[in-house]
Amino acid sequence: MVRSIILSVVLIFGTLTIIKPDEPLAFSGQTIERGAFGDDVIELQARLQYLGFYKGKIDGIFGYGTYWALRNFQEQYGLGIDGIAGSKTKNKLAGISDYDSEWVHQQIEKGNRFTYYGGIPLAQQTSAGAGTSESTDVQLPVKYSERDLQLMANAVYGESRGEPYEGQVAVAAVILNRLESPDFPNSISEIIFQPGAFTAVADGQIWLTPNARAKEAVLDAMNGWDPTENALYYFNPKTATSKWIWSRPQIKQIGEHIFCY
Amino acid sequence: MKSAIYLLSIAVLALGLYSYEVRKDNEHLEQTVQAQYTNALTNASEKLSTLQQSVSQSLLFQDQVALNNELDNIWRISNEFRSTISSLPLSREVSNEWLRYVGNIGEEAKFAADNGNYESWHKRMTVVNDNLQALSDEWTVATADFYQNDASINEWASVAEKETDESPFKSVTANLKSYGETDFPLTASESDWIKKKELQNLEDEEITKEQAIDKLEVLIPDIKDANYTVSKSKDDAPYPFYHIQFAKGSRVGYADITVKGGFILSFLSERPVQEKTGVTQQEIREQVSQFLKDAGYRDLQIVEMRENHQAWHLSLARVVGEDKALVYPDGVQVKVSKDSGELLGLNAMEYVQKEEINEDQKVEPIDWEAFFRPGTQVEEEQLIYTENEAFQLRKCYQVIAHFTNGKNETFRVVVDAENHDVIKVEYMS
Repeated sequence: MVRSIILSVVLIFGTLTIIKPDEPLAFSGQTIERGAFGDDVIELQARLQYLGFYKGKIDGIFGYGTYWALRNFQEQYGLGIDGIAGSKTKNKLAGISDYDSEWVHQQIEKGNRFTYYGGIPLAQQTSAGAGTSESTDVQLPVKYSERDLQLMANAVYGESRGEPYEGQVAVAAVILNRLESPDFPNSISEIIFQPGAFTAVADGQIWLTPNARAKEAVLDAMNGWDPTENALYYFNPKTATSKWIWSRPQIKQIGEHIFCY
Repeated sequence: MKSAIYLLSIAVLALGLYSYEVRKDNEHLEQTVQAQYTNALTNASEKLSTLQQSVSQSLLFQDQVALNNELDNIWRISNEFRSTISSLPLSREVSNEWLRYVGNIGEEAKFAADNGNYESWHKRMTVVNDNLQALSDEWTVATADFYQNDASINEWASVAEKETDESPFKSVTANLKSYGETDFPLTASESDWIKKKELQNLEDEEITKEQAIDKLEVLIPDIKDANYTVSKSKDDAPYPFYHIQFAKGSRVGYADITVKGGFILSFLSERPVQEKTGVTQQEIREQVSQFLKDAGYRDLQIVEMRENHQAWHLSLARVVGEDKALVYPDGVQVKVSKDSGELLGLNAMEYVQKEEINEDQKVEPIDWEAFFRPGTQVEEEQLIYTENEAFQLRKCYQVIAHFTNGKNETFRVVVDAENHDVIKVEYMS
């Protein structure tokens, strides 16, 4: 009886090993490539850094820094050089490097400055940082920074948190349309803080903490969505008294706001 | 009774002290803000004067080095002036006119320095120089009151609120508008660019609201039979479109569809999305390609994918010609949920009116080893069409180059394929 149980267990494990021979114990089952974001990328960056291939920040964003590091690793270990972490590459990486997931995630959550080189005690590779983990929050189009996202999210939340999602994307799009227009300053910060430009700046509501929805709205606008169809201004028809704003050619109304040129 | 009077006196005294402190604080704040505004005003006035002198000086030189030096100064001063003027609490109209006029001078200086078109610069700036002098004088008159002894923050507050016709900047604004139209008329390329942006050339047959909803449902079957609210764009809109708002279950969103031709401009849907992904990057790519083919977008190629917490954002560009060049201005953006691969957004505004491609533009080869410094490696080379600063569509090389020093800093460099002008350099993170 005992012998047959042992035999069954051995058979089951053996079958599983034969069925999934290439599945690494580390990482998830996904192929990881440029543009990816999240825990798999954090592990990839940490393992590449452990082996000395990756010298950048471990932030979970698969950008060009990670891409070149991965290609160099693939070249050195005789793997196909494509900058994509498939099962072979992941198996090789997992086999020759260590990864302390809990420690790495702890550093990111605390916003610490840290590295993950092999052969150096982890305690020597970390120091207290800004206390936020914002760098892992989002991937933005190359022309925008996280500071832009933060400022715009504050403005969108302060100006239009009661509006439908479309209306929030629209407010963000107006800021970006102004950035393209010769009639406005050259930076997002200057546009938002131009005296009289936004009510939320004048009444201090811009300093409220924006929610995830406002950030997502800004992200969509930064990625090209413009529900206003190129508007440069908007106003609330119930409260606007300026003759000038009423003289602008109007495009459409979303929620409480009329958008215009 | 005595105690009550005593307590009341203490309360009145405390309240008096408190209001005195608040008033003092407010006065202090007002004085600080007024000082900052006055400082910015002085800076703006000085920069305007320096800009006019610099434009005047540029008319002195024929020598290329001397002239380029002055053009650099003009570009820098115009930017500084724009920054300063935008920090003043002027009315929107006054501020816009200044930013546009002085921005045009700066852009013109940069364009002349980049292209060596000095003759055109000299011709145009002879008039601009006179106009700047006149504007500078008018500005001095208009701002004189802000330096009077009894000037206060209220002066600034009233300027910001007044209509331009009632403000001291009435004359300077009218002249800025008039000089702007005569000194910097739109070029043919700029005019074309604006027309295209405004979709004014559409001549397709008009569709009805119902047909617009049908189009949307064919494209996005997930919202079939949703509750719709359809409105038409305002009468002033440069091109008419239907604004369709929909709600179906947890999905709420909108779509804009042109009245002429029923082209989808943009669509965006909001619904709760799980953060954990069940769909791989490869699957997202395949699903998007399939969706776009089914929707009739058959000439697009994915050029960028970005994953975030809830969704993937994909950028696509139109592919043309035998060399499969990417036309970036004819781009489409797609948003896809991470949890199920559902299409959450489509932005095809730029794709509706396609660019006219100049097939005759020459492609001269570039020796990248000579073009870049040693220690730079070029990994990807692709032909693309993109607009230069003058809004002309040019065929260009796009290369991804990176330093081989271990830091792997990477750049996207766009170079005109014919004259090898550098159109754009982007730092890739």
